[in-house]
Amino acid sequence: MILLILLLVPFVGLVGQPLSSVNPAARRTMETANLAAFGITFVLSLVLAAQVLASGPVSLWSGFLYADSLSALVCLLTASVALVCSVYAVGYLREDERSGAFDQEGDTAAAKLRKYYSLTPLFVFAMLLVALANNLGLMWVAIEGTTLASVFLVTFYGKRTSLEAAWKYAMIGGVGLAMALFGTVLAYYAGHRLPASDTIGGLNWSVLAGHAASLDKTTMRLAFILALLGYGTKAGLAPMHTWKPDAYSEAPVPAAAILSSAMLNCALYGLIRFYILTSRCLGPQFPGGLLLIFGMLSMGISVPFILVQRNFRRLLAYHTIDHAGIMVTALGVGGKLASLALMLHMTYHTVAKSLLFLCAGNVSQHFKTDLFDKVKGGVIRVMPVTGAVFLMAMLAIIGMPPFSLFQSEFLILRAAFAGGHYLATALFVLFGTGIFAGALLHVGSLVLGPSDEAPVAVLRPWRDYSMLTLAVVLVVIGFWLPVPLLDLIRGAARVVTGD
Amino acid sequence: MHLLQNIDFLQDPEFGEKVITLMAAFVLVLQIAMVGQRSLIMNIRVFGTQSFLLAAIAAAIAWYNHAPHIYIAAVMTVLIKAILVPILLERLVDRVDIRHEIEPIVNTPLSIVISGGLTLVAYTVAESFYHPEAGPQTGPASLGHNTLAVAISVFLIGFFMMINRRKALTQVLALLSLENGIFLAAICLTYGMPLIVELGVFFDVLVAVLVLGILVYQIRETFDSMDVSKLRRLRG
Repeated sequence: MILLILLLVPFVGLVGQPLSSVNPAARRTMETANLAAFGITFVLSLVLAAQVLASGPVSLWSGFLYADSLSALVCLLTASVALVCSVYAVGYLREDERSGAFDQEGDTAAAKLRKYYSLTPLFVFAMLLVALANNLGLMWVAIEGTTLASVFLVTFYGKRTSLEAAWKYAMIGGVGLAMALFGTVLAYYAGHRLPASDTIGGLNWSVLAGHAASLDKTTMRLAFILALLGYGTKAGLAPMHTWKPDAYSEAPVPAAAILSSAMLNCALYGLIRFYILTSRCLGPQFPGGLLLIFGMLSMGISVPFILVQRNFRRLLAYHTIDHAGIMVTALGVGGKLASLALMLHMTYHTVAKSLLFLCAGNVSQHFKTDLFDKVKGGVIRVMPVTGAVFLMAMLAIIGMPPFSLFQSEFLILRAAFAGGHYLATALFVLFGTGIFAGALLHVGSLVLGPSDEAPVAVLRPWRDYSMLTLAVVLVVIGFWLPVPLLDLIRGAARVVTGD
Repeated sequence: MHLLQNIDFLQDPEFGEKVITLMAAFVLVLQIAMVGQRSLIMNIRVFGTQSFLLAAIAAAIAWYNHAPHIYIAAVMTVLIKAILVPILLERLVDRVDIRHEIEPIVNTPLSIVISGGLTLVAYTVAESFYHPEAGPQTGPASLGHNTLAVAISVFLIGFFMMINRRKALTQVLALLSLENGIFLAAICLTYGMPLIVELGVFFDVLVAVLVLGILVYQIRETFDSMDVSKLRRLRG
């Protein structure tokens, strides 16, 4: 029952939509509805995680909706990001309205607010459905749903560049997901000799995973390749990554934060489900090898783009491509240690990457640009809080030791080395160093240094407190993971290894 | 219904298979016609006809294999892909007021040769699904590999069309025809997916057409063109 309620709660955010002009009362209704919806979603995803920890997988309607530790973890991460971003969005959108960013092109300010507050609940609903749908076909429908719900978030500002970004996003995503749909059809065919395969449960992941050894091997091989290309496109793996920097730099910042962390998790989630089926059917070598190739390619391609990047939101996007590559590499290495590292990395990356986007949002709202040369450094003097957090989050995401991402990346490397993937390990370190240098150089020169501007004294509560909360979380999980969360992560890793 | 059951050839599965293969061949012909056809409106109509044929294939499979749930998919295909989507697209063409011909990147004769080549590739892939030595197959896979090969060709040619076209609207059409290939594969391999999934997919296709339609309209309004090769401000 909790699964159904969890899915339906985001729709609370659609309350109070009729709004013709921006009047404070109507705007407050929308903000409250949005916050309430995501607040409840967060609490419910905690309850779901607790239930899964206490009594194993939860299912509804004879397995139509199904949540094991992996789904519960992805739900929890999605809900947390959605909540933080909805708090941030209140401040961000008010600031945009004040500074006149809404009045430039496209719709009126009221229409833009309505667009943001009605699309984000649909977007979050689709992401939760990805994690909770047991049926692989329904999971595909939900992933396609995340694209459709977020296209108009990318065109939010109605500029020429946002249309271009949205077009690339929709078309590349559409083609990619068409491949994933073909992969899903083939996975269904691979199981057509199983008993009761023609019923509604025939495409249920839990059923297929139970009989994975008797799936048709040739078909499953082709199905995995198509699913990898399809969901890989959605996760932004190279060479299907070209939509990513555009979409992330054009969407309003809170939406970009959701895209780069929660939606990436959802795409990887689809890939992980297919990986589990395939590795149980064909053994881990075949899917693992393919995943390693795509992982290395994504990490490698992001290096030069990070080194020469001039726009800091695009820099973060290439970082996400790199981290998608890291997670896919961890999945490809396989085994207990790498799976655990994958789930840890997913958790840490979600926190750090959404935090980075929130910082970048503060900077770009203040300086009214996303370009390094126009900001000219000295952010830490103009905006002390944002600057400090930005630098800290950047250190965290490039894997500096006191922070958590160092642990997970180190675990992945250890697992890869122990598994005999020497070339992959070497490349991992090489690319990691390049990204480390590039990102640190850029963000260092952005944040540090002198500035002639007067410091901003006022704290913008909605924006800054949501950012600070996330920053505290990032620091804390570097040293201490709550035991239930660690259990959930371990459970999710066990789902991947299957014991 | 009773009357139909007395007609011999409607009961003969071998005849059914031939009819289905024939219709599948027409689907492929229409796909290649789309590659060669330069008028946008004609392209939309060819797509509508192709979807209609798909629905007919689905209905035939439902009839000869006594799988009544496929009828629903057939009806949905007619309603959404053969009627609603073409109407929406034609209205969009009217609104953006573009009746220019499609300007493919590779010229038409070469495009058709490439489509032929892709069909060969598709037959090779489909071959791996065909195991005649395993004895007479029962169930969905018995349909033979011709229909599957057609499905994969339609899918691949759809891909090629996406790459080969510059105008936003024609790319949408290519994406839709590619999806038709997947539908055909699903129908002939597994008698379609479970109904709820099928409904979800139809819903997604419809929403995608609406979303992409709005985007095409906005691109046309803003750039005064539908040429997506003009969308190149975002780099690096």
